[in-house]
Amino acid sequence: MIGLLRSELYRTFALRSGWVSIGVTVALGLTFGIFDTAFWSLFAGLGSFGLAVMLTAQHYQHRTALLLFLGRPRRLLVLAAQCLSAAAVATVIAVVSGLGVINWGDLAEYRATLAAVPLVAVFGVATASVLRRPLWLLGAAAGWVIFVEGLFGRLESPLPFSAFLRAAAGDTHLLWVFAAWTGAALLGAVIAIRRDLTGD
Amino acid sequence: MIEIRELTKRYRRVAAIEDVTFGAAPGRVTGFLGLNGSGKTTTMRILLALARADSGAALINGRHYLKLRRPQREIGAVLEQGISHPGLTGRGHLTTQALLCGASRRRVDDLLEYVGLAGAATTRTGDYSLGMRQRLAVATALLGEPPVLVLDEPANGLDPSGMAWLRDLLREHAGRGGTVLISSHLLAELEQLVDDVVIIAAGRVRLQTSLRELEDAQTQRIRVRGGDHQLLRQAYAQAGAFVETDGRALLVEGLTAEDAGEIALRARVPLYELVSERPNLEQIFLSLAGAR
Repeated sequence: MIGLLRSELYRTFALRSGWVSIGVTVALGLTFGIFDTAFWSLFAGLGSFGLAVMLTAQHYQHRTALLLFLGRPRRLLVLAAQCLSAAAVATVIAVVSGLGVINWGDLAEYRATLAAVPLVAVFGVATASVLRRPLWLLGAAAGWVIFVEGLFGRLESPLPFSAFLRAAAGDTHLLWVFAAWTGAALLGAVIAIRRDLTGD
Repeated sequence: MIEIRELTKRYRRVAAIEDVTFGAAPGRVTGFLGLNGSGKTTTMRILLALARADSGAALINGRHYLKLRRPQREIGAVLEQGISHPGLTGRGHLTTQALLCGASRRRVDDLLEYVGLAGAATTRTGDYSLGMRQRLAVATALLGEPPVLVLDEPANGLDPSGMAWLRDLLREHAGRGGTVLISSHLLAELEQLVDDVVIIAAGRVRLQTSLRELEDAQTQRIRVRGGDHQLLRQAYAQAGAFVETDGRALLVEGLTAEDAGEIALRARVPLYELVSERPNLEQIFLSLAGAR
């Protein structure tokens, strides 16, 4: 497990797209945090989700999932390591990019966001393990947030991203709702990750 | 040691492989030959636990891949056309794999040197040529110093010197007692490399034997060009041979080259050409695979 985690974290930071994305997310998060705490929460959450999706789905996109599963054939262990790795990166992003929020003394929302961000990263890993195509997934997620949760649900329904936003704002009940969504996505991932890796 | 026993895999109603049974022994290079879609890659993926069989077993040193405690220490695989994230450097790619299998950073540098990629270690693999990616894939397979190597079409993209390098590497590996299973459609290259041959067609194993036995089992034909073909033909036919002609020479089956020479001498017919012909691996393969 430690080897898997180290390998995933090494890959995340060895890839230019990985460390540039993390750096940009942290820099923008710091900037947004100075102006608006809610916007920082939203950005830290969506940034962590996007990063988790990209880093997980790229394994399928570039076929390196084959090497990953050759090295660690127990795929549930691979899924667990990817979740832990994404959650760790998301937490670091939230902790550092939220320094501007702390400066304003908005500690309650900072803590609530820190609690929700690892979950949104795990949600990203789980959904990417099911769909396996990063651009499709990010496009679908954007469409879902804008049309379903935004236009119809007014971001107040107990759907995943709305629940995350409310949880990050300090709503403990919706943190559990979002945890349930993450659990459901993980259940899908547990089933999907066992699929055969077919030819190129 | 690789053992494949009665392996069957179906995609819906179509059987990709059916009752596939063969083995690859230590100290030998086993060639796994088949046309595209014959089931080679499916068999290899099941062996490596990348796909699940409907029935049968695929074992490495007596155990299923999932039961191997440190799989990359027991088996190394080269799949597809050199898999790597294009954004990682050659060293970065090998380091991620080394962390997975517990190999040292020193091993990474040694392997980059060994496969001739030390000069391109800091180049992103997206900028590698196909041959360089294949060399990197071989280095990845060798990271854990495994005794068993499985290679799916590793010769793709390698130039003649690269192919000679791979041939030496695999022969050396088998010479040290390692097991090598290699699939390829480059049969002329494989003929120079393999000890044993497994031929698969339409998802079924048609033949498993050693290359030498396979060659010995083929009907030997002698090509004879002499001073009087009519007289020679009669003499060979009287000796019980089957004789044809391609217009320029006689093609004789059922005689050794020595017999053919002595019969011609007794018949007092001068010989200008006497060549013993055996079908090459490609001809044998195509006849067994039913491609002709």
